[in-house]
Amino acid sequence: MSERIQVWDVPTRVFHWSMVLSFCGVFLTSESERYRDIHVMLGYTMLGLIAFRVLWGFMGTRYARFASFLFTSGEVLTYVSALARGRAERYVGHNPAGSVAIWLLLFLIIGSGASGVLLFQDIGGDMMEELHEVLSFAMLAVVAVHIAGVVVSSILHRENLVSAMISGTKEAAPEAGEERSYAWLGVIMLLAVVTFWAGYSALSAMAPAEFAGHAEQRDDDD
Amino acid sequence: MSRINTLLVLLLVVMSGLAVQPACAETFGQFMAEFARSAKSSPGFQSFSAANGEQFFKSTHGNEWSCASCHTEDPANSGKHAKTSKVIKPLAPLVNPERFTDPTKVEKWFKRNCNDVLARACTPQEKGDVLTYLLTIGK
Repeated sequence: MSERIQVWDVPTRVFHWSMVLSFCGVFLTSESERYRDIHVMLGYTMLGLIAFRVLWGFMGTRYARFASFLFTSGEVLTYVSALARGRAERYVGHNPAGSVAIWLLLFLIIGSGASGVLLFQDIGGDMMEELHEVLSFAMLAVVAVHIAGVVVSSILHRENLVSAMISGTKEAAPEAGEERSYAWLGVIMLLAVVTFWAGYSALSAMAPAEFAGHAEQRDDDD
Repeated sequence: MSRINTLLVLLLVVMSGLAVQPACAETFGQFMAEFARSAKSSPGFQSFSAANGEQFFKSTHGNEWSCASCHTEDPANSGKHAKTSKVIKPLAPLVNPERFTDPTKVEKWFKRNCNDVLARACTPQEKGDVLTYLLTIGK
């Protein structure tokens, strides 16, 4: 008995794809001073998204909650060894191996974002520069593993996990479903991201000098 | 508890990539020798020229920025980032002794900034010319 049920609520999906977009942008602009303002803007976006995600990990729906993907090391090992034999159990939400990537990404995005903010405020010097680069490339590596995991898992269980992150739905037992979608919250998030991008771009184009000063003040408030 | 331990171990694995890198300080003379060594491998190399370096530094090369757009026309002065208006410390090694001491940084910033200014890597000749020019500043 399985049917199409909702697994990923709307805010989780908006979070995921906004993060994907920001992540791509931040790497495309990382090796240039020309796009430094865009790089910084996207870094702030990622930190904002993560702040939401941490709250949502406690307050969100069933599969978005941290408790649903907090596995023991034993569970992770069991899963990985089963995976190696091509017999991994199917999880409706995050599987134990996938959850490791999610936790790592969570910490790495916070670390890379925070070190980037400090670096941009000229705090920490060469050490901070080094830290920002190492954490960012570690994040890139984990993203590669995450994508590989999605491909492997999709093939293994004959389901498209990418489209599941778009539609939010999967084929599963009805009682595994999560009915609340919080579409309104997803819309608010989307609007917040777009407004921030538009506002930030307009401000930095208008008065770069004053804007840099503004960014410094903003950091002092933190 | 073991869950938290797993997370900690994973975090440590990532952080271990941060192991201290050997910092071998160099002098601008060593960079000059290095650029000369590389430049000699290309035919027609004669010597580095401060005048060429200055011209290179102050002109645009296809893109809208020159080196001077951020580092100013006088590398003895603090520069200003053309995009963010952040202060950039003086580039001339005789004014700012921190410049041209760390091979990793020199490599990194030539790579990034040449890409922004020229949309390609700088040649050893160009690097040598610019450093020769920078060494005439603040004498």
